[in-house]
Amino acid sequence: MQPEKLTGDPARDGAALRALLPAQDILTFRFSDARGRAYVCLFADALTDKQLLAEQVFLPLSRYAGEQTEAHTLAQHTLSPEVRTEGAPERLAEEVLAGNPVLFWEGADEGLVVGTKKVPVRAVAEPPTDVAIKGPREGFIEDVKTNTSLVRRRLKTGELRIEMLTVGRRSATSVALCWLEGTCRAAVVEEVRDRLSAIDIDALPDSSYLTRFLSSRPYSLVKQVGTTEKPDIFCAKLAEGRAGILVDGSPIALTLPYLLVEDFQSAEDNFVPAFRATFTRFLRLFALLVAIYLPAFYVAAQLFKLQLLPVKLLLTIAGSIRDIPLSPSLEMLLVLLVLEVLNEASIRMPKYVGMALSVVGALVLGETAVSAGFVSTPAIIIVAFSGIGLYAVPNLIEETSVLRLVMLLAAGSVGTYGIVLLSALVLVYLVTTENFGVPLAAPFAPLVARDLKDCFLKYNLRSLKMRPASLASPNKRRQT
Amino acid sequence: MKLCSRQILFFLAAVAPVGKMVLMPARLAAAAGNDLLFPALAQLLVQAALIFGVLLLSRRERTLFSLLEGAAGKWFARVVCLLFSLFLLFAALLPVIEQKIMVRSIFYDTIPAHLVFTPFFLFSAYLCSRPLAALGRMWDILAPLAAVGIAGILLLCTGSCDLAALAPAGAAGWRGFGSGMTVTCSWFYDSALLLGLIGRFPYRKGLAWKGALCYLAGGAALLLFLAVFYGVFGEIAVLQTLGFARVSAFFRALPVLGRIDYLFVFALAFVMTFYVILPMQEAVGTVAEAFGSPAPLAPLLSVGVNLAMLAAVYALHFSPSATVSAMTSSLFWIYPIFTAALPLLLALRFGRRHARIS
Repeated sequence: MQPEKLTGDPARDGAALRALLPAQDILTFRFSDARGRAYVCLFADALTDKQLLAEQVFLPLSRYAGEQTEAHTLAQHTLSPEVRTEGAPERLAEEVLAGNPVLFWEGADEGLVVGTKKVPVRAVAEPPTDVAIKGPREGFIEDVKTNTSLVRRRLKTGELRIEMLTVGRRSATSVALCWLEGTCRAAVVEEVRDRLSAIDIDALPDSSYLTRFLSSRPYSLVKQVGTTEKPDIFCAKLAEGRAGILVDGSPIALTLPYLLVEDFQSAEDNFVPAFRATFTRFLRLFALLVAIYLPAFYVAAQLFKLQLLPVKLLLTIAGSIRDIPLSPSLEMLLVLLVLEVLNEASIRMPKYVGMALSVVGALVLGETAVSAGFVSTPAIIIVAFSGIGLYAVPNLIEETSVLRLVMLLAAGSVGTYGIVLLSALVLVYLVTTENFGVPLAAPFAPLVARDLKDCFLKYNLRSLKMRPASLASPNKRRQT
Repeated sequence: MKLCSRQILFFLAAVAPVGKMVLMPARLAAAAGNDLLFPALAQLLVQAALIFGVLLLSRRERTLFSLLEGAAGKWFARVVCLLFSLFLLFAALLPVIEQKIMVRSIFYDTIPAHLVFTPFFLFSAYLCSRPLAALGRMWDILAPLAAVGIAGILLLCTGSCDLAALAPAGAAGWRGFGSGMTVTCSWFYDSALLLGLIGRFPYRKGLAWKGALCYLAGGAALLLFLAVFYGVFGEIAVLQTLGFARVSAFFRALPVLGRIDYLFVFALAFVMTFYVILPMQEAVGTVAEAFGSPAPLAPLLSVGVNLAMLAAVYALHFSPSATVSAMTSSLFWIYPIFTAALPLLLALRFGRRHARIS
């Protein structure tokens, strides 16, 4: 049976807490002060900075000779800047597990929690998924404290609110909900907080777990939560009126509400001239459309509508596919599947083996398959172009690669009309999806003319005086 | 999610004209010859006036059922709504047949299997089960797409167009004009479509005028297309049943570039798909509102309506021309009952009351 409160006997309280935490890496340290009063400290071995604990707590208290032993007096005698008291044993146990040592002493009905946590973290580095040629190179890491400091460094305002929540019954993962008070809609913050509080899950190893709980259509193919690894993008999104979520143990931050068009924008767009940013955004859109539609249209054109192709190209293709034993749709499906397998394998494999795999996959397999007459050269070119296009919008790879396959099946079975109908279906689905009261396809559907200034078009920064109207921020003006 | 007045304007300006580009130009050319613009213009003016009236009715922000119920009780409203929905389904038959002919002709080089058109009904059933307000967001996307599609096709065929083919004006005489008016009744039912949407969008000041003007602006694009269509094909225009897909085929760079004009044709076909489904969607929405809560009824009705339409389309598969002829020449009188008489009666009934209240 769990103890309900502390007894004031450090040995008994320490033992009671130890009973709650029987793991071997929970250590107990006993010492006494200059008057011989006993102290007991419990801490998690790997998570606590023992040297700091000794310097800031054990040493000063062991020399303490005063009469008063109230918590605040002892707290003043430690050298730690992060000290607080806690009375409930189960809360104290959580603190120990979080890396914060707990101190008991004679006559105390509360434990002293000392912030000498030591979490092994990697250095702040450029995120591999979001590389920028120009602009900041910092990326989030797995430590939520470091990540909040990266955010705080960029938004030096009292309006930045960071609310710490705990998610996960067993993992008790720290989740930081960040927003700019007065800029982010209060309803969004409240809804995010409610949804996070309602999560009842064993463990939360990564922020991606949260996305399903934060989506209004959790089984949807389309993502409904924005993600970024870069603090500058995260802060820019907070400044636009979004809420952000940082999860301990995950370098990927979440932002809400999410607009589909966000993924066509890049941090670099703000550091290059507006015309260049506009060009690259349209290029990304083109690349995405090519990635989805090119294999499907190629198959539909071959099977049902040859007129789509110019005569000379048609003759070239006809020459290439003459001896191919597979039907166009089966051939394309096969090559696409090979690409997906190669892609999956090269991501998981060790770096050096991955390079060899690329050579084997791209050169040996591709070249041999063409010379053996299994697949045609145009099919390889089309799939390669589609595969490259997919990576122009890296945040939508999961959705796009599935959609490409489905589109191919529609083209292979019904032809061009199948592509048209499937596109219509996808579009209806997209425009009817909302999350946190914000339509996913805004500012196109519904049309928000003002927001088109920073969509595929990128106006000069000086003309972007207002925050995106789609997000309905209470603080509409961004600059004067 | 609600429709907004801007989306209604987009529908009237860009989506509505697209539905009249498939079979109507050839039929109109057959009826009115080189004077095909006059009946079309007359129909546009009549429809614009009716749309003005219907949009004035929408000031009350009450649906058709609600208006009728307020005027003559629930059962009367139910009967009229049921008849109105049946009319919408009847009106949808022609565009669905058009769509089928179009799909089989322009999406395939060789005659495809009958079943290729079946997925249309799957999509239609899905769309019919969605709230009507979802359409508004689609119109936000479809409007620019339609504009690009029409502009692209018109641009590609300017080189092969001889507008002198439209001269001399008035050659078809009043008979041709009357015949053209009769034939085009089956395509100009936008006021009835709008009637099914009233009460589902908020009325903003000046919406009636803006709506009529937007419809006329879209109509101007349609007239331009009809002029170019006749300018390209001249007297053989009567044979060009799918004119919008063939009118730009004479662009000189096509042999080098491939049929890039099909990109515009596909864009218009995409827009048309939604325009064709709209009457069915409205029929489902109106009946669901009149006879019960929309939640359980709408999905069942949408499946039922689409199954019925599928059966009708395949039953009439071997006589599409006869069906189109019957609808445009013999049954044309049904259209004005719901496109003109019903809105006018409602306008008289509620316009007067509105005046008295104010």
